[in-house]
Formats: sequence, C-alpha cells, structure tokens
Amino acid sequence: MAMIGKCTGLIDRRDFLKAAGAAFLSSLTPKAFADTLAADAVFATAYQRRDGAYGAAILSEAGKILQTVELPDRGHDITFDPVSGRSVVFARQPGTFFVAFDHAGRTPPVTVESVSGRHFFGHGVFSPDGALLYATENDFDNAAGMVGIYDARNGFARIGEFPTHGVGPHELLLLGDGRTIAIANGGIETHPDFGRAKLNLPTMKPSYVLVDRRNGDLIEKHELPPELHQLSIRHMDTDETGAVWFGCQHEGPATERPALVGRAVRGKELELVEMAPKVLSGFRNYIGSVAANRDAGTVAVTSPQGNSYAVIEAATSKVLKVERLTEVCGVAPDHAGFMVTTGTGEIVVPEDRSFEENDFVWDNHVLRIG
Amino acid sequence: MGYDPLIRSLRALFPVGGGKAETPATSSPRREGRAERRPRERAVLCAGMAIAVCFLGTTTALATKAQDIVGNAIDGFIRPGYHAFHEATGGLSEAGKALCATPSQVTLDAARDAFGATVDAWSRIEIIRFGPVTEENRLERVLFWPDRKGTGLKQVQAALAEKDPTATDATQLAKKSVAMQGLGALEFVLFGTGAEALAAGDAYRCSYGLAIAGNLDAIAAELQTAWAAPDGFAETWANPSADNPLFRDGTEAVTELMEVFITGTELVRDVRLGGFLGAEAKDDKPKQALFWRSGRTVDALAGNLAGMKALLEASKLADALPADQSWMGGEALFEFSNAANAAAGAQGAIADVLADPEKRAKLAYFGLVTSSLSDIFGTQMSGALGLTAGFSSLDGD
Repeated sequence: MAMIGKCTGLIDRRDFLKAAGAAFLSSLTPKAFADTLAADAVFATAYQRRDGAYGAAILSEAGKILQTVELPDRGHDITFDPVSGRSVVFARQPGTFFVAFDHAGRTPPVTVESVSGRHFFGHGVFSPDGALLYATENDFDNAAGMVGIYDARNGFARIGEFPTHGVGPHELLLLGDGRTIAIANGGIETHPDFGRAKLNLPTMKPSYVLVDRRNGDLIEKHELPPELHQLSIRHMDTDETGAVWFGCQHEGPATERPALVGRAVRGKELELVEMAPKVLSGFRNYIGSVAANRDAGTVAVTSPQGNSYAVIEAATSKVLKVERLTEVCGVAPDHAGFMVTTGTGEIVVPEDRSFEENDFVWDNHVLRIG
Repeated sequence: MGYDPLIRSLRALFPVGGGKAETPATSSPRREGRAERRPRERAVLCAGMAIAVCFLGTTTALATKAQDIVGNAIDGFIRPGYHAFHEATGGLSEAGKALCATPSQVTLDAARDAFGATVDAWSRIEIIRFGPVTEENRLERVLFWPDRKGTGLKQVQAALAEKDPTATDATQLAKKSVAMQGLGALEFVLFGTGAEALAAGDAYRCSYGLAIAGNLDAIAAELQTAWAAPDGFAETWANPSADNPLFRDGTEAVTELMEVFITGTELVRDVRLGGFLGAEAKDDKPKQALFWRSGRTVDALAGNLAGMKALLEASKLADALPADQSWMGGEALFEFSNAANAAAGAQGAIADVLADPEKRAKLAYFGLVTSSLSDIFGTQMSGALGLTAGFSSLDGD
C-alpha cells in the first residue's frame, strides 16, 4: 500500500500509456454481463491493489467488483456518461492521463494524454448529451487553472480550453441547467517540477466560480473572507434544490478550526455551515469528498484524515449523524443513505453492512453510475 | 511495496518466535459502534477479520508506548533541534553585525560560514512540518522555496536597488513578503550578484542581510519557546486523549511522527532532488536546486536525512515494532547511512556535481535510497505498527 508511487517521468509514463487499458479485465460471461447491467445500482471507483498496481473498478450494489481497468499510475475521480455508457477515470494530480472505458465491453478503453504544459487534477464531467468532456487542468507554467474540452465522439480529441479564473482547480460540476459549470478553485499552486509541493500557502486565494460551458464566460466568482484564505475549496455536489455543497481542506495551522463545509446558491454569497466543535474537530481540517442524496435530502461529507464522516440534512444544515471509520473518503448516494469506501479497503453500504475485497484499497472517490 | 498484509496478519496469529497469539476479537476498533456483520457475510470475510485481529494486537501495544515515543521525539530531537537552530541564527546575527561593523573578506567569509551553519541546523529540524512552525507562516518565512516564478528574487533585488529602509528593520521585515525575509533572501545577499561588495562595505546590503538574520533569530526563538511551553503543542501531542483537540489516541499521536518520515522522504526525493535532477544529465536544472548559490544543495539534502535518522533513533520508534519485525529499524538506519555516504561523495557546487558523472551518479543513488526509505516507513513500518498507511489520507487531494 505504498501511498507514494514511484516517481514516473513523463517519458516513462508515455511508454506505460501505450499499455494502459490493454489488460482490461473481461472475465465475465455475456450472461453475467447482462445480469450485471440489469442490476439496479452500480458504482465506479479508482483503487490500488495491495501489490501497488493502480486501476479503476466497477462495483455492484453489494460492493462486489464486476469489472476492472488497469491504470499506469494512481487514479482519482471518475465521471460517467449515461448516453454512451462510458466512464472516464482521471489520473490523480499531477497526472497526465485519463482512461475512458465501457464497463460492458462494447468499446475498447481509450487512454488520453494531457497536452504539453498541462496536467490533470483528477476530476471531470461530461456534457448532458455525452458529446463533450470537461476536465480541470493545470497550466502550470502560468499557475493558471484551466478546463480542457474533449470531443468524446472523436477519440476524446482536445478541442479547446477555458480558464477557471483561479489557481489549482479541483472538482467541477455540471449544474442542473446543463450549461453552467461550477468549479472549485482550490487556490493551491503546484508545478510538476516539484511534485505535489504546495508553492503558495502564505498567499493562496481559493474561489468558487460559475462558468458557461458553451463559451467559457465567467458568470459568478466568489471568494471566502480574507481570514479564510487558506481554506481550500475542493469537492462539491448539488442537493435536491440545486444548491452546491462544498467541502474544504484547511492549509493553515492544525490548531485552527475553520468551518469546512459550505453552501453556494446562485447569485448569493458563499455560506459556511456551522458544526459542533466535537464534529468539526473530528474532521482534522480535511474534507475528502462530498456527495448528496437528493431523494433523501441529505449531504454526506467524509474525512479520511479524521477517520470520520457526517450526514447533513440539506434543508436545515443540521448534522444528522457522525460515524467513525478509518480512512473513509469515497461516498455516493445509495438508497436512503450512502455507500462509503475507505483507504483500508472497506466498503460500507446502508444498514451498516460492510464488505472488503482483500486485494484492494479504495481511492478518494466513488461515483454512482447506475 | 511487496509487503503482504494477509501474510503479515497470519504471522501475527501464528507467531514464529513463540508467544501467544491475540485472542480473535469479534470486531476491530475501527468498526466500533457499528452493528455486527450479518452471519451470512462472515464466511467471506474471514481473511479480512484476520487482518483486523492483527491490527488490534499491534495498535494496543502501540498505544501504551505512544506517549514514550512522542516524549522521546520531543525531548531527544525536536527541542534540541530548535535549540541548535536558534544557536545558529544567534551566531548568524553576530557574524552579520561583525560584517557590517568591519567589512572585510574575513568577516564576509565568517558571515557565509554562519549562513552555512544555519542551513545545516535548519535542514535537520525542518523535517518537523507540524506544530508551531505552521503558525504565522513560520515555515515559509524561514525558507520560501521553491520560488518558481522568482518572485522572491525580484523583491530582494528591488529592495537592494531602491535601498528600501523598511527592509533593514527585522520587525518591519517580518511583515513583508515571506520570500524577502528568510534563508533564500539571505543567500542572495551573501552569495548572489554583487555580494562581493559586502567585503568592501556595502552598507545597505549589509543592513538588509542583518535584518534577515535578526528576523530568523526571532522566529527561531519563537519556535524554541513554543516547543518548551508546558501547556503548548508538545503537551498536546504527548498526551493524547478523547478530549484532546488534535490527538484522540496514541495511534494518532504516533501517526504524526510517522508522517515526518513519510512526507520527509517524499519532500527530499520529489521536491528537493526531483526539482533539479533530471532523468538524464541533459534534463538537469542546477539553478532550480535549493541553495545553489551558496553551494549548500547537497548539505541541505543530507541534513534532512540526518535529521530523520536522528529522530528515528531519539524517538525509539523502532522499539515499538513487533519482535519479528524489529529488523525494519535496522534496515532504515542502514539506508540512512547509505544516503549519508552518497551525499558525502557528491560534495561541491551543484552545477559541478551534476557535470561530474561519478558525483552525479551518487546523487541519483541518494534518490534511490530515499525511495527505499519511503517504502520502509510508508509501507513496511506503518503496516507493522498497525498504523493506517494513509492511502487516502496522506497528502490527499
């Protein structure tokens, strides 16, 4: 479970890329596939195997691995296009690839490299029609956040980009109108020459922006108050009313305890959610993932550093429950509750049922794809 | 890599060197408070349970030793380390005063030596990247690096060109850009373009340098005091409890220590070394190396690992390893020695080191050893101590 992958130079990585996806595991029979596809829930997540190999997996509702695709390096989040049935898993920053794959095996996986002068931040989103893929990227020489645009129907050719109007963008979301993209600019400057080192902590300035995906026009930009300039806005989801819930990671001293969860409503200032000191303290200044359950009217936030997660009632911002779970990070809506996954290899689904695939540990995010 | 948690857990259940295995528990601590598994799930989970039992055994043992380990780290490494850094900054201020009062090649050389001693002391203790050094941007104020866009350099050059009077007062300087007030700025003053004028009496440049030294000395004093405080961070760290705001139990306290090694080796390899050492010689970027102007690049790298070695020994962290895995401590010390030997063979200005294939190879080997150390601490030792290895949590996203 080496969390620090071997340093892979760009040149080496390109050789790896040729092989990526080639070992797409397809051990299921056609009948099994059909049964799988008929299942009423499917999840996708990046993982690491205990021998150090990286990949992405499709999980059944019961947390069973149905399909895996190997990755040349550590993955991060996955996005899904219901139109083509393809998932895209992005390399963890400062990674330089994404892999698009169809878990039903109708089309072979496609590995796409970042262009020169850019790397991925690990998150992306499809347009509603599945034609375009948008990914957060780093224009690292200029320390400028970018959204790369890819033509999903043409081998994911990169056809353009627009600025995120901030530094170090992380997660992005397509809002309900199908046009507006919300972007969490984490504010942290990095450069691949210096690995994952954070280069600007004393001066970082995170922001939350709304951009029109059709032309890249900036619609809204919000910053936190100056005293919270080290509160990196990183992960988001939308609740049933369309409000965006975001989770933060505090880069200032551990002895400070700023609020870590907030809400963004169009046209209004950002709003931070107050929590009891005991709950907040349990997050260790670090929210790793945010997911809403729109049917249940709840939002879950996870903290792998604090080994705990909380479920919040979206309408009242009230914390409904807090659970301790070692290295919990991945979270996705599941029935009336949430499925959560951990860096120790656990999968916990509602009703406190828990599963473990002995050979796998789960990366930071799990996505509901069906 | 290459360690197998399942095999390890079976070893724990059936110890090779005698002794009784822990009684299997029905649930591990990390499942505390959650419902029992449904019976039909038990069969497929037995292997997972074996791991849980192993973790239960080792973490309980660790909890009793955590306070000793953390106490040892504080008293045996951190407090002496900040004391040494403060002594060095005191010497640096004295040398700066002498240079400004009596400019000469002799006093300039002495000031440069005092800078080197300060870099050495800092390189050992800078591996501590939590606690008081994270308050008030102290870490970046002592050393803002990498300064990728050369912001600091431009600010330092502007201060020198304009003879900005506010930059010659340590108190006012402390409120300026972090890039203007630490070791990087002082290195330019003492070794950068125009530094030789200090020997002939460049009054402004000297007073700016003296203000930086005074600022460093003040920060060093704050760090020393903060770690010495009876109700300060040291107390919080050494006394984990359910009510402790930062460390709820011994495992969390020891994890903080373990992360010094894990993040420290990553910093040295990926940021400090990786920042200038290319895959091949043609990809090297000597001017991206920390302290290239003063020729202290390799000393600083070696100092980081020397600090980690001293911390490992002082904390007696390896004593908490299960008997059949106690060899990991020796393995780490062996690799620290390899790194020190490699660094000793790669002395000199970094551009010269990189131009000399033999010395460059030693530096590349230093990088390999750092990777090996990263694996020993991040995978092997973390696993053996039952600490969660932090796949998701460590330096996450």
